Amino acid sequence: MWAYILRNVWQRLILLVFVSILAHSVVHLAPGEPSEVDPSNPRMKPEDIARIRAAFHLDDPLYLQYIYWLRDLASGDLKSFKDSQPVLPKIGQRLLNSLPLFLLTTLIVWGLSFPTGIHAAVHRDSPFDRSMTFLSYTLISIPGFFLSYLVILGVVDTLDVPVIGMSTFGMDEAVPVFQWMDRLWHLTIPALMSAVMGIAILSRYVRSQMLEVIGQDYVRTARAKGLTEDVVIYRHALRNALLPFVTMFGFLVPSLISGSVIFEQIFAWPGIGRLGYEAVLARDFPVILTLNFITAVLTLIGTFVADILYLFADPRIQIE
Amino acid sequence: MSAAQPQTMAGEAPAPDLAGEAPAFWPTFWQNRLAAAGAVVLVVLLGLAIAGKALTEWWIVFDTETIRLPDKFKPPLSEAATGMIPAPDAPVFGHYLLGTDELGRDVFARMLQGSFVSLSIGFVAVGISVLIGTALGALAGFYGNLRLGIITVDTLIMRFTDTMMCFPTFFLILTVVALLPPSIYNIMIVIGLTSWTGTARFVRAEFLSLRERDFVVAAQALGVPEIRIMFRHMLPNAMAPVLVSATIDVASAILTESALSFLGFGVQPPYATWGNILADGKDFIFDAPWLFFIPGFAILIVVLAFNLVGEGLREALNPGLRTRRA
Amino acid sequence: MALRRWFLAVPAVLLVALLQAYFWVPTYDQQSAGNPKRLLKYIEASAADAKILNPILNADTVSSGITDYVFEGLLGADQDLRLRGRLATDWAITEQAYLIVRPDKRLPDGTPVSAAELKKRILDARDRGGRSGLKGLLLAIDVLHPETRAETVVTPPAEGKPAEIRVKVRVPERLRFSLSRVDQDFFSRLEPILGSGYLDGFPYERHVDAEEPGARAHLHLVELLPLAEHNPVILFQLRRGVRFHDGTEVTARDVKFTYDAIMNPKNLSPRVSDFEPIKSIEIPDPHSVKITYKRLHSPAINAWTMGILPQHLLSEEALNAETENLSAAARAAFGMREARFNRHPIGSGPFKFVEWRDVEFIHLERNDDYWEGRPELEDYYLRIIPDPLTQEVEFRTGAVDYYGAMPHQVARYLKDDSYQSFSSLALSYSYIGYNLRKPLFADPRVRRALGMAIDVDDIIRYLLYGEGERTTGPFPKETPWYDPAVRPLPYDPAAAVRLLEEAGWRKNKEGLLEKDGTIFEFNLITNSGNPARKNIITIAQNAWKRIGIECNTQYFEWAVFLEDFVDKGAFDAVVLGWTTPPLDPDLYQIFHSSQSGPKQLNFVAYNNPEADRLIIRIRQEYDPERQRALAHRLHRIIYEDQPYNFLYTPRTTRVLDKKIVIVERDAKDQERYVKIYPTKGGTISYYFNKWRKLAFTPEF
Repeated sequence: MWAYILRNVWQRLILLVFVSILAHSVVHLAPGEPSEVDPSNPRMKPEDIARIRAAFHLDDPLYLQYIYWLRDLASGDLKSFKDSQPVLPKIGQRLLNSLPLFLLTTLIVWGLSFPTGIHAAVHRDSPFDRSMTFLSYTLISIPGFFLSYLVILGVVDTLDVPVIGMSTFGMDEAVPVFQWMDRLWHLTIPALMSAVMGIAILSRYVRSQMLEVIGQDYVRTARAKGLTEDVVIYRHALRNALLPFVTMFGFLVPSLISGSVIFEQIFAWPGIGRLGYEAVLARDFPVILTLNFITAVLTLIGTFVADILYLFADPRIQIE
Repeated sequence: MSAAQPQTMAGEAPAPDLAGEAPAFWPTFWQNRLAAAGAVVLVVLLGLAIAGKALTEWWIVFDTETIRLPDKFKPPLSEAATGMIPAPDAPVFGHYLLGTDELGRDVFARMLQGSFVSLSIGFVAVGISVLIGTALGALAGFYGNLRLGIITVDTLIMRFTDTMMCFPTFFLILTVVALLPPSIYNIMIVIGLTSWTGTARFVRAEFLSLRERDFVVAAQALGVPEIRIMFRHMLPNAMAPVLVSATIDVASAILTESALSFLGFGVQPPYATWGNILADGKDFIFDAPWLFFIPGFAILIVVLAFNLVGEGLREALNPGLRTRRA
Repeated sequence: MALRRWFLAVPAVLLVALLQAYFWVPTYDQQSAGNPKRLLKYIEASAADAKILNPILNADTVSSGITDYVFEGLLGADQDLRLRGRLATDWAITEQAYLIVRPDKRLPDGTPVSAAELKKRILDARDRGGRSGLKGLLLAIDVLHPETRAETVVTPPAEGKPAEIRVKVRVPERLRFSLSRVDQDFFSRLEPILGSGYLDGFPYERHVDAEEPGARAHLHLVELLPLAEHNPVILFQLRRGVRFHDGTEVTARDVKFTYDAIMNPKNLSPRVSDFEPIKSIEIPDPHSVKITYKRLHSPAINAWTMGILPQHLLSEEALNAETENLSAAARAAFGMREARFNRHPIGSGPFKFVEWRDVEFIHLERNDDYWEGRPELEDYYLRIIPDPLTQEVEFRTGAVDYYGAMPHQVARYLKDDSYQSFSSLALSYSYIGYNLRKPLFADPRVRRALGMAIDVDDIIRYLLYGEGERTTGPFPKETPWYDPAVRPLPYDPAAAVRLLEEAGWRKNKEGLLEKDGTIFEFNLITNSGNPARKNIITIAQNAWKRIGIECNTQYFEWAVFLEDFVDKGAFDAVVLGWTTPPLDPDLYQIFHSSQSGPKQLNFVAYNNPEADRLIIRIRQEYDPERQRALAHRLHRIIYEDQPYNFLYTPRTTRVLDKKIVIVERDAKDQERYVKIYPTKGGTISYYFNKWRKLAFTPEF
C-alpha cells in the first residue's frame, strides 16, 4: 500500500513540475507587459522602469526567469510586480479568506444534494422528482453571475441589508455576537450562490447512482429479507452508491477555485480568485505563476486525498 | 462547480447494446417533452443567429453600433424619438424591440449579433475539443497496452487527461485569454483546448470495449490497416456518447464565454456578446433593468435548451437506462 | 430511521442557522444595532486604491484625498476660495529687487552711473513723492559689492545638451531694494531715473564663464544673472503648539525639510515645478519661515497648501535606519520613495493614519490633539470598491456613507427622501481643440462657425441629463476670474454657414463645403474608453455633416492618443477636457505661445501676443483685484479667438446618508445640529471635522 501512495505522490510531483513549466511559458510568451513596468506607461520614469525590469529579471531569457521564480518562491523572496510586496504571504492571506467560503460551499452542496437526490431516486417520477429535475437543469444553465446579481439586488431592495464583502463594514467595534452573526450572514449568500451549480449536478448524480444501485440484486435480497425500506435505502444502497462521491471530492477543489474567480469578484470577497483576476489584469507574473502553482498543488492534494479515501472506503479495490 | 467542466449528469454512460434491439431513436427523443422543447428553441436560435449575422453585418437592417443619445435607456417596445435623431439612424420599425442601452444603441440588434458570437464560439470550441478528445480517447483505447519506454500509451494519455480534468481550467482560460490579444478565435481555441477531457474518457471507454468485439478482431485478422479500423468501423459506434457530451459541452462553452465577457475579457466592444451586454447592463440595473435581464435570460434559455437536448439524446440513445426498474 | 433523520436534519439546521443571521445584521436605517460606534465612523468608497501616501510624492486623486486628511499645509482655502492660514497664522509678502549697476551707461542728464549716485537719486525720487509711486513702496536701498559665484546648472535632459554645466558667475556691483509689497512695474517706475536704454543690451557673456567650452550656449544667461531681478519674499509665522501625530512639535525646520525633499532629484517629486521658483528658505526662528523667490510668480504661494512632512522621520538618518538589511546596491538606491513612511504616514492633520489594507480600505482615526479642535467623527474609512454597482449597493445598505451619483441617476436620488443630495459644478470642462498650425483652422471665423453649428445645450440635456452648464472660458465658473458677462456662442447653423462663406467656403454640388477645389474635411479624434467624449464626437460629426463638413472620427487608446497625436501636434482636432485648480488663474502652460513644443500643454499652438502678455502679467500680479480684471480680459480674448470650442462643465451630484449632520457646540458644550451645505466651489466637506451621524433622521 505504501508503494501505491509513494508512486501516487511521485506522479503528482512530476505533474506539478510539468504544469508549472507550462504555466510559466504561457504567461511569459503572451504579449503585454506588467502594467507598472510597461515602457509606454506614462506615469513611470524610464529610470524607474529600467530598475524594476532589472530587479525582476524581465530581460533575461525565459528559462532563467523560470529558475529565478522557483528560487525566489523557495526562499520566500518572491515579490509581486504590482506593489513589490512578497507574494507568498499575500496568497496565504487571501487563501485564508477563501477557505471559509470553500468549506461552507462544500458543506451546503453535500448537505443539500444527498437528501434531495435520495428522495428523488426513491420517489422516482413523482412531482418532487420532476420539479427537482427541472430545477436542476435550470440551475445548471443559469449563469452564476446573473443569478448572483439577481439575489443581491433582491436582498438589497427588499431587505435593505448589506450582502457584499466578508463582513459589514464598520462592525469591528460592535458587540462580538453581532460581529459573528454578521460574518456568518456575509458567508451565506456567496456560499449559496457558489453551491447552486454543485447542488444541481451532485443531486442528479446522487439520484442516478441511487437508481442504479437500487436496481441491484442485493437490494432486492435485502427487501426480501424483510428489512424496512429505510434500512434498505440508507444503510445498504447508500453505502455502495457513496463510493463514487469520494472521487467527486477531488473534483470539487478545482471547480471551487475556478468558480471563485467570478463569485469573489461579484461579492467583493478578498480571496484567491479575486487575487488571480487582479493579477491577470495587472500582468503580475509572479503572482499569476504562483497562484497557478498553488491551485495545482491544492488540486493534486485534493485528488490525492480522494484516492486515499477511496482506498479505505472500498474494500473491493485492488491496487493496480 | 466550474462553468468549464462538462456537465456529466450521470457518470459514464454504459455502452449502448448494439447487438440487441435497434433503439427507436426519434420517437424516444420526441417523447421527452423538455428535450423536444429544447430542440425547438435551438432551431429557432440557429435561425436567429444566422439571420442576425446577415441582418446586422451584410445587409444592415438592424444596426448594432449607432449611438443615439436622445434615445438612451429606452425600455423595450418604446418608440424612437424621430424628431431628435437623423432619419438613417432610426430603428427599422420605428420602435426599439428590446429597448436601448446607455449609448442609445439598439439592444435587439446587439442581442442578434451576440447570438451569432455565442453559437459560433460554442460550436467551434466544442468542435476542437471533440477532435482532440476523440483522437486521444481512440489512441488510448486502441493502443492502450502499447508500451513507450516505462509507461503505456493508455497511462500516459489518461494521466494527462486526469491532470487536465483536475486543473482549475477557468483560471487557466482566464490567464490565457487575458494575456493574448482579444480575439474571438483565441477564445474558441482556448476553450476547446481545455474541455476535451470528457469526450476523451467516453471514447476511450467505448474503444476499450469495442476493441474486443468480433468485427474488430476480424478486421485486424484480415489485415485492414488499423487507422481504417478505427475510423471506419469503431468510431461510428462510439459517437453516441460523444454526441451527448458534445451537446452539453456547447452549453458549457457558452457559459464560459459569457463569463469571460462578463469579466471584461473575450470579445471586445463594440462587438456585442451576451456576456458583455450583461456586464455593461449590470451597472444600470436600477435604472434600466432590461439591459440586465434580457441577456441573462437569453443565456439561461439557450444553455438550458442545449442541456435538455443533450439529456434527451442521452436517454434516447440509451433506452436501457430508462427502463431499468427496481 | 436515525440515518434518514440525520440526512434531513443536518441541512435543515444548517440552512436555518445561516438564514437567521439576517436578523442580526444592520440595515440602512438601523446601522447602529449592536454597533453604536458605527455612528462615529464615516465610510467613503473609491474605485481605485491609493498609491503612495506622501503628499510630495503622490500623483493620483485617491492618494491625495487621504493625505489631505493626514497632513496639513501652511495654507488652505476658505469658504470663499481665498487663502487662509492653517499651520501658518500670518504671512507677509514683500519684495527684494536687484539692479545691476552699469558704470558704462549714463543717466539721462549725462552723469555717469555709479552706485552712490543711483541710490541718492532714487531715494530722492521716493521722498519727493509724486508720480513715481515709490513712496510707501520702497523701504530701503543697499549697495551690494561685486562677488564671484560658482554654480552648477542642471539642465533638463535633451539631445546634445550636457546634464550639468559648471559655471562661474562674476556678479558686478548691485543695488538691492527692499519693497513693502510685490510690484511687477517697479523697474518701470525707475526708468525716468535710469534712462530708457538702461535695461537693454546687457553683455551677459562677459560675466558668465562655463567650464566646458561651448556649454555656455545652452544656458539661459538672463536667469543666472538678471539685470533687473524681482525676488518676492514671503514671511510665514507658524502656529505654535501644533504637533505631529507622534507628538513632535511642528516647526520651521519641517517646512524647510519639505521643500528640500521636493527639490531633491532622487525623490522624483511631481511637485518640483510648483516649488522651482523658490530661491532660498531661511529660518529666522523656529516659528518663522522666510521664503525668497527667484522671480515674480503669483501662483507660487498656492503651493504652500502642500502638506508639511516631519523632518525627524524622513531625514537621512531616519532613512538609513530602514536600510540595514539591504544589499549595498539597494541601499544606494534607497530614497524617500521606498520609505516605510509612504505606507504609514505621520502628519499633523485632523486625522491620524491607522491602517492601509491593500485594495481593501484605508483607515484613519481622529487626531484628538488637533489644533483647531478634535473632529466629531472618530474614524474615517476609504473603501476600495472598483465596481460602480457595488458602490451603489453598499451605499443603499448603509455600508458606505457617500455616493457620487452618475448623471442618469441624479433625478432618482434627488427625489429620494432617504438621502441628502448636493449638486455643484465640477472644476473641469470639456472642449474641442483645433490644431491652429493647420491652415484649415487658421481663420477664427471658421472656428467660430464650427462652434455655432453644434447644439451644446442638446449635449447637456441628453448626454448629461441636464447635469451641466455651458462654459465659455478657461477658468472654472465658480471662481472670480471667470467673466460671466462673456456670452456663449449661439446655436445657429445658418449663421455658421454664412460665416464660412465669408471665409471662402461655398457649398458644392454634393452639398459639401468647398474652397479652392478642396472640400472641408478633417479628422476629429479622442481617447477610447470615455463614453462622454465618444458621444460628443458623434454629435459634433452629425452637426457638421448637416452644414456640409466632412468630419472623420477615430478613437485611440489613451497612451497612444497622447504620444502619437497630442504630444507631437499631429492632429486636426481633438475632444478633450481640463481639470482646473480653483486657487490660481495661471494659464501659462495651456495657452502661452511658448508652450506649444512637443509634449507641452499648449498643443493647439495658440499664439496671441496680447493673450501672452496678459498671461504673464496675471502670473506676476499679486493684487487679487487687479488679477481679476486681467483675467476677465484674458477670458474674453480667448473666447473671441476660439482656439477651443468650449463646451460644458459637468455638475457633480453627491449623495450622503441623510443622518449625517454638522454638529455645532456652544460655550456650554451643548450640541446643535445644522444641515450640511455646500460652500463656494461646490465642496460639502469644508466642515468635515464637524460631521457626525445621528441614530435617527433629523428634520430641518
